[in-house]
Amino acid sequence: MTLQRVAAFFACSLLAAPVVAADDFPERPINLIAPFNAGGGTDLLLRGFAPHFAEAIGGDAFVSNMAGGSGTVAASALQGQRPDGYQLGYFSITVSTIQPQIKNVPYDVDSWTPICSVAASPTLLFTNADTPYQTAADVVEAANAEPGKLVYGSSGPGAMTHLTTVAAFAGLGILDKLKHLPFQGSGPAVKELTAGTIQFFGDTEILMTRGDFRPLMVFNSERLESYPDVPTATETGIKAPLNELYLWGGLFAPAGLEPEVTAKLEAACEQAVASEGFQDFAATSGTVINYRGAAEFEAFFRQQYESNGALIEAAGL
Amino acid sequence: MLSSLPDAFAILMTLEGLLVLVLGTALGIVLGAMPGIGSTVAVAMVLPFTLSMGQAPAIMLLLAVYAGSVYGGSIAAILINTPGTPQSAATCLDGYPMAQRGEAGLALGWATVASVIGGLVSAVVLIFAAPQLAAFALQFGPIETFTLILLGMTCIVSVSTGSLVKGLLAGMIGIFLSTVGGDPIVGEMRFTFNNWQLFAGFNLLAVVIGVFALSEVLMRASAQLSTASELVDFKGVTLPRLAMWKGRRRTLGKSVLIGNMIGVLPGTGAATAAFISYAEGRRSSPNGDKFGTGEPDGIIASEAANNAVTGGALVPTMALGIPGDAITAVMLATLTLHGITPGPKLVEDNPTLIAAIFAGFFVINLLLLPLGLVLSRVAAPILRVKEAFMMTAIVLLCAVGVYFVRGNPFDLAVMGAAGVAGFILRRQGFPMAPLVIGMVLGPTLEITLRQGLILTDGSFWAFFYGHPIALALGLISVFALIFPLLRQFMSMQRRSL
Repeated sequence: MTLQRVAAFFACSLLAAPVVAADDFPERPINLIAPFNAGGGTDLLLRGFAPHFAEAIGGDAFVSNMAGGSGTVAASALQGQRPDGYQLGYFSITVSTIQPQIKNVPYDVDSWTPICSVAASPTLLFTNADTPYQTAADVVEAANAEPGKLVYGSSGPGAMTHLTTVAAFAGLGILDKLKHLPFQGSGPAVKELTAGTIQFFGDTEILMTRGDFRPLMVFNSERLESYPDVPTATETGIKAPLNELYLWGGLFAPAGLEPEVTAKLEAACEQAVASEGFQDFAATSGTVINYRGAAEFEAFFRQQYESNGALIEAAGL
Repeated sequence: MLSSLPDAFAILMTLEGLLVLVLGTALGIVLGAMPGIGSTVAVAMVLPFTLSMGQAPAIMLLLAVYAGSVYGGSIAAILINTPGTPQSAATCLDGYPMAQRGEAGLALGWATVASVIGGLVSAVVLIFAAPQLAAFALQFGPIETFTLILLGMTCIVSVSTGSLVKGLLAGMIGIFLSTVGGDPIVGEMRFTFNNWQLFAGFNLLAVVIGVFALSEVLMRASAQLSTASELVDFKGVTLPRLAMWKGRRRTLGKSVLIGNMIGVLPGTGAATAAFISYAEGRRSSPNGDKFGTGEPDGIIASEAANNAVTGGALVPTMALGIPGDAITAVMLATLTLHGITPGPKLVEDNPTLIAAIFAGFFVINLLLLPLGLVLSRVAAPILRVKEAFMMTAIVLLCAVGVYFVRGNPFDLAVMGAAGVAGFILRRQGFPMAPLVIGMVLGPTLEITLRQGLILTDGSFWAFFYGHPIALALGLISVFALIFPLLRQFMSMQRRSL
């Protein structure tokens, strides 16, 4: 009898709970989930973003970390949550479009309500300053002369750094003439690039400036202001969809979020990104701001999901 | 950079500078001393506060908490046999038996002095030899690192108290646990049974806390709970007298050296250094036979080495912009956030800031001594609470620490399972230190071996020609394995004569 009453009580409360009043949103603090460890690039970006986002939404927002499995653990956990707008994940291109196509994770392209994109940086292919390779053509020549001698690194299989090098060498038609050496994270890979164990690595501009490295190409639609002499991938002869790569990230809620709540979150995100405080933060931390609203971000996200399939195939993942 | 030292001290000797150093170090010691809360958690906890601070105080706060927590870890390891992190695991081996003997104060005294000297020497090395050491770190490619980790693995033999076979088995269990999750080279999932929770593998901290701290609680619960409270007799730190150092200085010197060298190499870490130093101490110390029974040399070897790592780890971080571990990675990210680009030109472009950081690091290590003495005296009454309350508090703290790292409830289940498994294994006489060594070193051993094989096109023997460092380390590993057998053989021969 007692047990039945308890069960009935819980059944009632479960039925009552999902009625979310969009007008009152947010009534509770909003949890911004970083799928990586505290202190990493994603975590710091989110911590710089959170106060401005909280101010814009007129409530509280806090950052929590749920690291592991290249970000898939956090995304897998969020995917199963109720879409109430109080749990948002900040996912990158790899977490949201690459990992679900190479791992058997419980989420895919339809699991999310995209809210907004915040940042996007093009990646570059670079080599150590003391290597003889000045242009992409030099690399093609050297790789064809001695197949299997040149080595490129990555921060792990399926990571953005891996896809950048794969896009470059597959695009130049020499992918099978070079060896791939995966590391655990960009740090150790950059060390071996400095030491000469590997000759090529691909990452964003901010990471490249940490060492004495020479950029060979940039995966952007146009040349970068900071490196006007470095050709785009398209200029070196690399064809779409391998010619443009951006390490982008944005906020996602589980699929099925009410349109009113999505609109509120989207507006707050836009206001936060445009805020003076966040713009200052982005300038000092080297973040390339790239805001997209919910509808535009969703279209972009779905297009990226599709086109990255070609990269994954080229990488043999 | 040396010419910037006066300016650097001007930055330190402000009210904010001193407050950050003293409070940060104290906070680090307290957090590190809590079972389950190690350096990574402690640094992550103070990280949000650094966002609103100036450049130098922000980095100094992180450094103070880092160095303090590495020392603080020895307190829990010695007094209640529960290391907060893998790096203090070797300290338990002799620290706890000494505490059980009623010499807890003295055991902590050895740990304090060894920690302070290890940290101070590493600070001096950092100030004067960072560029040279960074060049040395670049000599260590995947193949060299593989042989170093191989040498670390031979430590399993030295820390296998009781049965060697059981020690080796425990080591194998540790290595096996480390293979769960994504394959580091091809990305394929291993032993995950399509459960996404296992995609990231078993969390190292959850397993270490489980097999050391939680199993210790279970061991005590299964034994007769003593209603008379006192766990160990502890009134505060007793510093060892100068005369007691006789014959121990060599162990201290070697341990500091090992900690420094290993700290400089990115991706190896304090736990590796502590275990290798412990094994070397056991081999070369005149008191080597007594290791594992509460021998001060064991504490010295472990603590001097893991504190010396802190300075060493800053070498590649500051000189090359390459983080040596998760904690120095946080520091680099903090620098970036304050508008400073880490990299080879970091020291050149910001001489005063870097000098302030290095000088601050020296001061932090000096502060460990007085703060350690004061805090341990304050903390001593805590140990007098009823054992049952103490054990409950430990379980709670462990759960908080493990949950904080990745924010994943699954890690709590892993900790619980590791605790029960550790309890069963310990009851059967399996030592837990080899399991931790296997799990700490397993992933690096695997990835460097496979990286090496990619570079040499699959030839293992090619590891040793053209790589003199690898050859030397390989030979030392073989020697380290044969030496105990050789010694046994010689003593048998002597007896038969």
